[in-house]
Order: sequence, then C-alpha cells, then structure tokens
Amino acid sequence: MAVPILKQGDILIASIQAELSDRELADLRDDLAQRVGRLRARGVVIDVTELDVLDSFATRTIRGIAYTAQLRGAKTVVVGIKPEVAFAMVQLGLALDGIATALDLEEGLELLRVGGDRVGSRD
Amino acid sequence: MLAPEISVPIERESDIVAARQKGRELCADMGFPSTDRTLVATAISEVARNIVSYAGRGELVLSGIEDSGRRGVLVIARDQGPGIADPELALRDGYSTGKSLGMGLPGARRLMDEFELRSLLGAGTTVTMKKWLR
Amino acid sequence: MADLASQVQLQALMADMGLTEQNVQRRRQIVALGADDLKRITAIKDLVVSGVSEYTNAFFEHLAGLEEARPLLSNRPVLERARKLKSEHLVAMMQGDYGTAYVLQRADLGLLYSKAGLDLRVFLGAFHHLLRTIGLAVVSHFRDAPAEGFQHFMSLKKVAFFDIGVIVDVIVFEKQRTIGQQQDAIRELSTPVLQIRDRLLLLPIIGIIDTQRARLITESLLHSIRNNRAKVVVMDITGVATIDSRVANHLIQTVTAARLMGASVIVTGLSADVAQSLVALGIDLTKLNTVGDLQGGIEEAEQLLGYRVIRRGDPDGAAQPARG
Repeated sequence: MAVPILKQGDILIASIQAELSDRELADLRDDLAQRVGRLRARGVVIDVTELDVLDSFATRTIRGIAYTAQLRGAKTVVVGIKPEVAFAMVQLGLALDGIATALDLEEGLELLRVGGDRVGSRD
Repeated sequence: MLAPEISVPIERESDIVAARQKGRELCADMGFPSTDRTLVATAISEVARNIVSYAGRGELVLSGIEDSGRRGVLVIARDQGPGIADPELALRDGYSTGKSLGMGLPGARRLMDEFELRSLLGAGTTVTMKKWLR
Repeated sequence: MADLASQVQLQALMADMGLTEQNVQRRRQIVALGADDLKRITAIKDLVVSGVSEYTNAFFEHLAGLEEARPLLSNRPVLERARKLKSEHLVAMMQGDYGTAYVLQRADLGLLYSKAGLDLRVFLGAFHHLLRTIGLAVVSHFRDAPAEGFQHFMSLKKVAFFDIGVIVDVIVFEKQRTIGQQQDAIRELSTPVLQIRDRLLLLPIIGIIDTQRARLITESLLHSIRNNRAKVVVMDITGVATIDSRVANHLIQTVTAARLMGASVIVTGLSADVAQSLVALGIDLTKLNTVGDLQGGIEEAEQLLGYRVIRRGDPDGAAQPARG
C-alpha cells in the first residue's frame, strides 16, 4: 500500500507522501472507493502536502476519487496544495470544481466536522 | 559552464516521475526560483505523459541553455509515435470550455516561455519548450 | 590590475552583456577595422605612447572643467584608478590587438564610470578632447604629408569609436539594470497583501494588470494565504485601470488558485457596467463571489468567518443599522 490511509471517526485520511506513479494513484482511487463503502465513511481527506506537482492525470484521479466517494455518500476535501502547485494548476487550466479544498489537514477535518460547505463557497 | 544535456527515456509511466525530478534538479542548478521549477516540472509531466499515452515510448532531453546573456532550460520531448493529425487543433485552448483534446499541450504551452510543436502523421512528434530566468 | 572580486564582476558583466568573441569581432566589423588600419596605427604607435601622460591629463583636465564630472573627480581613489586605467588604455590602443581582453579592459573602465555616476555626455566630451589632442600631434608629425596624416588619424579613430561603443554600452547596460531593479521594487510594493483580521486578507489591486503583474499578485497572495492561514480574501479591484477580458481572466485565475488553497475570495469594486460588458464578452463570472463595495465585502468576509462587529455604546449589542 503506497499511500497510508488512516481512519479518524467516520473520516478517511489519505496522506500522499511522495510522487506517485499513475498506477499507484489508480490503486489509491480504488482502495478509497472500497473503504468508503465498507466503513461507511462520510468524509475523505486527500492530503497532497508533499506533492510538488499536480498534473492533469493526478487532478483527474482526484476528481475520480471525489466522484466515487460522493456516490457512496462521502464528501472529499483536498488539503495541502502548495502555492507553486496551485499556481501551476491554474496555468494548466486545472481546477477542482465541486471538490472542497482546505489549507491543511487540520482545516480539512474542521471543514468536514462543521458539515457544511467551505466558508463562502459557492459550489 | 553549462552541464551536459540529460536524456531521459520514456517507456513507462514511472519514467514520467523520473523526468519531472530531473527537470526539477536542472532548474535548481540553473538557479530558477521555486515557482518556476514547479511550472517546468508540471510541463514536463504533461508532455512525458503524452508520449506514454499516445506513442508508447520516446525520450525527453533536458539541457541548460544560454542566449544573449540570459540563461534558461530547454526541454525536448520526442517520439516516433503515430503523430498528431492536426497540431493546430491539439494546441487549441479548450481550457475555458473544458473541452480540450486532453493532451495537455495547450496547458504545457502556457507554463513555458517558448513552445514549439512539430508533428507529422505517422512520423512522430517533437515538442520543444524553453523557460528563461527572469 | 583589478582584484579578484572585481575580476569576477567584470567577467559576469561581459557574460550578461553578451560580449563574446563573436560579438567583439562583429564590433570590429562595424567600425570597419581592417589590416590597413592596423598598419597605420602601428606606424604612429610610438608617437602616441610617448605622449601618454600628456593625453591622459588632457582627458581629466577637460573633466575638471565640468560640473557634472564632480562625482568622479571628488572621489580620490576612484579618480586615481580611472587615471591609471586611462593610461593603460591609451597604450593598449596602439598595440593592434583588439580582442576580448582589450574589450574587457574597456568594460572595466566603463563599469568604473558607471559606478561613479559619470554622465555620458561628459565622457564623450572629454574623450573628444583627448582625441583632438592626439590628432594635433599626428597632424604635426605628418606636416609634410597632411593627407597621409589624416588617414593615419582616421584609422586611430576607428579604434576610438570601437572603444566608445564598448564604454557607452556598459554605462547604458548598468543604467538599465538599475532601472530594472527599481521597477521590481515598485512592483513588489504595489502588490501588498494585508492581514486585516485573523484568517482574513485584504488585497487591494491598483493600476494596470499585465500578465507579469498578475502573476506577481497571484504568487504573493498564495504565499500570504499559506503564511497567514487565511480562509477569506477580499480582493478589491476598484483601482484597476482597465478591466478587459484578459484582465478578467487573470483575476479569475487568481481566485481559482486561492480556492485551491482553501481560501474563498470576495471580489469587491466590480461595477455593474464592467460586469455586464465582461459577461457580454463571454466571461463566466458566476465563479466569482462579488460584492459591490469594499466595505460591504469586508463585512461579508467577517460574517463568513464568524465575526460580529458591535459598536461600543450599543447597550444591547444590537446589530448595526443596515447600510444603504
């Protein structure tokens, strides 16, 4: 298991520690999908703090994870996008529309705890 | 003065990460700030991914360059794959409508300072990109 | 000769300016310096070299008469170095070797002039005076063959103009560099990101937004979001000069990037007129959370963050009267 997945209450936390290969990202997606269903999780936090690049494939995968999680009744929050990565993503035209984001793990968990949308979100 | 060029074979998707790393290192050596290093690494990721997805195999050649007193990095991504039927269309910005061909090329172009795409149907593709130190 | 540190600086300057072997050759071609010129210069070599101190004095005496040369002349060590270099230059000028080493020597003097703030016009005036002095000596030497004398002098002048080319280029280059640095400083100062409350940032944007500035603003904002752990940003665009589709797209990109870091952006100062024209141009503004004016935007931001502002003297802590 390339990416450790922790469980905190009814929330799953996936901390991506290093640059993942496409295969590992796909595995993560499938693994999370499985666990959300099995554990009846209501929230998934994807922590990308350690990632230096979020390219189109990674973004598509994350969207895939969020979509699948939503189908199983869980909300996804992506946390830890670095300033440089956020900048590169918008230059590339990638956005995580419809997926909640937060500054870090703490904020992400808070968001899920509060239960509503991110502050001021229009999604 | 400038380090010799680095060639990274792209044959499987795990090579994409290697190409990014090498690109990042080269940028650091050339003195690029953090943001630019990420932009270049991301652009490399996109074009390397194209090679894996559409051509199966190819190579990325990375080098430091100098021109009229300014320094930068040069990234050449080439493959002998099927080529692109309509390079203009591939470069069309589908960003705002979300309807790009999914090739990441318009995005990579936006990330770099100079960008050139040469492709012939049946004869492979070469993408040449440059980023200059500001 | 220059010490190690200044040697390194000189080499860097040569590299930055592109003063390569090729470039130097091109400069010689531009002044049309040819074999015949070299012969003539060699022919009058001794004449000039024997009068080096006289000619150097001529140059600096001319400067002494000019108010604008004060910065250079009043700095003793700099002045002495300049005199030394000038003498060396005059000698080197007659040796017939005008390659990169020769150019480096000139760049050295150019750099000195630049640092001393020597006015370009003043330099040219003094240089002309120097040439004239040499010219008189050449004319005198060739008094029986004035046409030949003229030719010899003109060959020397080619090298002189070659020299001027290098020195002027260095002075201008350094000036541009300073201006560039000042512009960078101005740009930094002009993209302030202010923390006005815990987790709340204010980003007032004023002036013209081009691609580079938009990028600076975005980078600055994103780093501030991280450093201040901001959750809400009020981005005020009242002061933005022109908001066309390009600028609008830059702003939307900034908002999108901030969002990726978990911060919501409230855009204030977007007039209804501008909004309408942007929509007509096909810009999708629905992604933006806009509030008419800055004050309203800050109030909304505070509310979003859970702040409630109570004015002292309001005994029951009633909410403030609605603003029109």
